[in-house]
Amino acid sequence: METNLKSKAFQEFSNAAETLVNPVLQHWKDQGGKVIGYFCSTVPEEIITAAGLTPFRMRATGSTGTEESDAFYSSINCSFPRHCFNQVLTGDFKFLDGIVCVNSCDHVRRIYDNWKRFVPTDFIEMMSLPRKTGPDQVGWYTDELAMLKDKVGKHFGVEITDDRLWKAIKLHNETRRLQKKLYELRKQEKPPITGAETLAVMVAGTAMPKEQYNEKLRELLDELSGTEGPGSHRARLLIVGGILDDPAYVKVIEDQGGLVVTDSTCFGSRLIWVEVDENASDPVAALAQYYLTDRPSCPRMYGEHDNRAQYVIDMCREFNCDGVIGERLIFCDSWLVEHYMLGQDLKAAGIPMLKLDREYLTSGIGQLRTRVQAFLETMGR
Amino acid sequence: MALIDKHPELARYVTEREWFEFLREQTLAMIEIPEMQLQVKTLDSLLKMYGRILDAVENDKPFVSSYYCLAPELYTAMDLPYYMVMQTPFLASSVPYLLTDIDAAEEMGLGNDLCTAIRLSIYYVEANLSPLPTCALNLLYPCDGAPLLHEVIKRNERWRNIPMFACDPPYYSDDRSLDYFADEMRKMAKFVETNTGAKLDMDKLKETLEYSNQMFQLWDEYNQLRRNVPSPHGWGIGAPQCFSQAWVYEAGTPQGVEWFKKLVEIAELNVKNGVGPVPEEKIRLFWFDLLPFGWVFEFLPWLEEEWGAVMVMDMFGNFPYTMIDTSSEEEIWRGLAKRNLFDAPMVRQARGVADNFANDIARIVKDFKIDAVVWPGHMGHKDGAATVGIMRETCRDLSVPFVHLGLDLFDKRYSTPDQIKDKMSQFFRAMGLG
Repeated sequence: METNLKSKAFQEFSNAAETLVNPVLQHWKDQGGKVIGYFCSTVPEEIITAAGLTPFRMRATGSTGTEESDAFYSSINCSFPRHCFNQVLTGDFKFLDGIVCVNSCDHVRRIYDNWKRFVPTDFIEMMSLPRKTGPDQVGWYTDELAMLKDKVGKHFGVEITDDRLWKAIKLHNETRRLQKKLYELRKQEKPPITGAETLAVMVAGTAMPKEQYNEKLRELLDELSGTEGPGSHRARLLIVGGILDDPAYVKVIEDQGGLVVTDSTCFGSRLIWVEVDENASDPVAALAQYYLTDRPSCPRMYGEHDNRAQYVIDMCREFNCDGVIGERLIFCDSWLVEHYMLGQDLKAAGIPMLKLDREYLTSGIGQLRTRVQAFLETMGR
Repeated sequence: MALIDKHPELARYVTEREWFEFLREQTLAMIEIPEMQLQVKTLDSLLKMYGRILDAVENDKPFVSSYYCLAPELYTAMDLPYYMVMQTPFLASSVPYLLTDIDAAEEMGLGNDLCTAIRLSIYYVEANLSPLPTCALNLLYPCDGAPLLHEVIKRNERWRNIPMFACDPPYYSDDRSLDYFADEMRKMAKFVETNTGAKLDMDKLKETLEYSNQMFQLWDEYNQLRRNVPSPHGWGIGAPQCFSQAWVYEAGTPQGVEWFKKLVEIAELNVKNGVGPVPEEKIRLFWFDLLPFGWVFEFLPWLEEEWGAVMVMDMFGNFPYTMIDTSSEEEIWRGLAKRNLFDAPMVRQARGVADNFANDIARIVKDFKIDAVVWPGHMGHKDGAATVGIMRETCRDLSVPFVHLGLDLFDKRYSTPDQIKDKMSQFFRAMGLG
């Protein structure tokens, strides 16, 4: 991607965000390392890391069509699973050694059913994710994660002890802390990194072993520390939505003068704003508590809208945002209704909001530019 | 002061009751037809339900908002009126103002790719056109739309302070899931007691469930009769009425038992006389969804008249149920959990893994000698839309033709009745049917 950042670490992150198998991941595979794909950020990467495997958040980067998956999906399905499953069928995900799914949404959960039936795979699991976030549900999800841990361990021939799990939790928490530091830099009046660049860094974090990722991220943070960006933006924005993994989309927004300084998205701040409790007695329960309850949720979780709206409002205040862009993939019911409610909340809070529908592959750039420009103008920017 | 003046949220509800009173009058004109006698009784049950809600509001009596798949026998046992927030799409989408309401929902900012049933229900709540219950039982399954509707309800100014409870749905259908959901249902019942003052007497519940079991047993008998060639009934009587009696209006009541006895009696006579809804049954269809209630009269009669295509079975007439064991409290809750989470129509297919899409097709095709399977492809069924490959493959393995239409069960403008008729005709011709 086009960038003013000269950092070698950033170049590696950018490359990782633009491909499925980046050189670091390839090296891992070449050394005999295994990779487990997963859908949805409620799947604890820590369990996969604790097994000595690398977790890989599923994307459809590089997809050009859905000709194969059209036989399994319909035109009213979200383009993300259609592109992703298309790549499954064309063999782009052959590098995976297994896949873990949850019942995240109506579109994505059916990847499991189609994958299981039509694509021979040694290890494919689907966890039952609750809709509520109360203590009983944390208990349920603790059991689900314990079963996943056992299945991963059994299949890949490794005993995932509590020690290994705690070690993985500490490692992933370190990732979260480092990523949060990156976000903190964006509070500056002239942030040294754009929203598109930040997204590339975040996406890369889901596509390589955490130790190497953390090392490179420290390097990037060192380079960015004490620097500032051009500050030529017209407005500071927060982006809120679901599975946004394409920096090019954010770049189109930023090229109009709207600098994305923070977000609430599936590859963004919701993953990192709080940490797994390292003082808990049971690591599996700690993970269940974190993924289900402690972390800012997505609209799939019932009863949490007020918390999610407050999270967005607080983020806007903390990052001094002028407005919010709510993006959603067409046919996504969750984000349609969430944005409907959030729009009212933000209006009450005096924060302008623009709602954008998009397809998974960034397209309709002319229209996107026009709408963002108009939005900035209505904000008087 | 008129009830609506004091309670404007009842405006739509009262209009719906008037619509059904009108339909009842029209149906009375055909009372000599045995099936119409049953239709009148069905409408009587429905009107009774509307009346109880209006009476509850007027006289400040407790009532709940809930769903068919949240153990309606509990409310019967507790003598509590209940209504469904999704009432209009499920029961009343033949009302003349439906399209206006759909447009109003879109204007509210709910777009046009969210399920119309969900959109309408959100609209009614946000526009203060849904009765305000004493407490609300919110639904978190089978699809994304359900929890989203209830998130809006939870947040709505008028509903915000109404006590609410939602049963959390596990994804699988094993014993662990059954026990978990049974526990959720117990908590739900406790919540209703606490917030309405009504008491759940387990002996009364047992009695209610025994009536319910009788209804379901008779329903099973009726479905066995529909296996006959020709089927004793088509789309006009069968699934919608059986479902609404057993799951909504007369859940666990002696009146419901009588209704089903009458239905079986009529069907038995038709089977004995070798008669069905059409002079010559040429095609036996499995319609794998709700009927397109928003435009049913413009399409379904045509299927029978034009093609001799009889809807022998559909999603809501499907019978995977087992009787609820009332021998102990534990078995009662497990039985209710199974019936409401594993077996209830649409929940059964859409809540968890896609296996029941395939399994139900396989069983129904065989049991009912189905000539063609129709996946209507309602625009709101996103999970079903992602299962078409599985359904198609299942039908291929069974050597039975499969068609995927693409429509809106409630809004006939999405795909017009003429477009759907055209698709069906092309399908029948291509498959050499009829």
